[in-house]
Amino acid sequence: MSTLQDKYSSVVSAAQSAGISNLQVQEQDGILYVSGSASNTAAKDAVWNALGTIDSSYSASDINIDVQVSGLNTGAALTVATDESNLNIRQEPSTDAAIVGKVEKGSSVTLVEQTSDDWWKVKTEKGQEGYAYSRYLRA
Amino acid sequence: MKKTIAMAALAVAVSFGSVSCKKKVSDADLQTQATTIVTSNPGASVEIKDGVAHLSGTFETQEAKDAMIKQLKAINGVKDVHDMATVAPAASAMNTPVQTQSAVDPMVQQKVQDAVKDIPGVKVEVVNGELTLTGNISSSDARKVKESVDALKVGKVKYNYTVKK
Repeated sequence: MSTLQDKYSSVVSAAQSAGISNLQVQEQDGILYVSGSASNTAAKDAVWNALGTIDSSYSASDINIDVQVSGLNTGAALTVATDESNLNIRQEPSTDAAIVGKVEKGSSVTLVEQTSDDWWKVKTEKGQEGYAYSRYLRA
Repeated sequence: MKKTIAMAALAVAVSFGSVSCKKKVSDADLQTQATTIVTSNPGASVEIKDGVAHLSGTFETQEAKDAMIKQLKAINGVKDVHDMATVAPAASAMNTPVQTQSAVDPMVQQKVQDAVKDIPGVKVEVVNGELTLTGNISSSDARKVKESVDALKVGKVKYNYTVKK
């Protein structure tokens, strides 16, 4: 086991116990790449929490965690998890695109499709459809 | 009698001359020895002329240069070392930002910039050829930044910000 794998073994084991699928752990150019798919946000969080235990400021440059929530079904309920503000629903998957609606923190939207890792198409309770930044959605 | 003395003097002079000639190491020999020493510093070169070593090129540090001059002086037959070399630690430092500016793909920088766009207080910069994030942010925002940036898989990113607890 390499030094890096040793250093971040708790992150890897957290990923294993959270049931991250397609889990890959690779070392390249002094960076440990941990990637895989999470079936829900809690599983993804478990991995990041493990990193937070080691590196509370999340400033380590020698580990790269790419665990994305994927494989969600259309119609899945998502919770808006912004810090304080409303979440913008946009016409296109870009922060430059026009805002077609806003949803409150803690409210619920339904998934239309996981367009990319960053942008998910959602439908609000009022029936508006658009793209929201996935970071602020919990599955 | 006078002639004999003159002859003797000549003989002595000749013998002295030949002895001193034998003692003198040729420039070619000195060059070989000097080159062997100088190759340890790739930026420098040496040329022997009439037993004097002319050192030129660049050295990373003054210490490295001094050490090499000392070594050259220690070669048997080298009369002196003419130091024409320069110390240029700035050279590498000056080159680095230029290299680094191009080392980080502007596209990559833009992607990272977009990822941290809605997190206030984070700045994306290229410092010494490394993509560097600076600013003052909270621990939870730091996590969001890392989550977003890691997802881009852009290689080494320095997280050089102050994280509030």
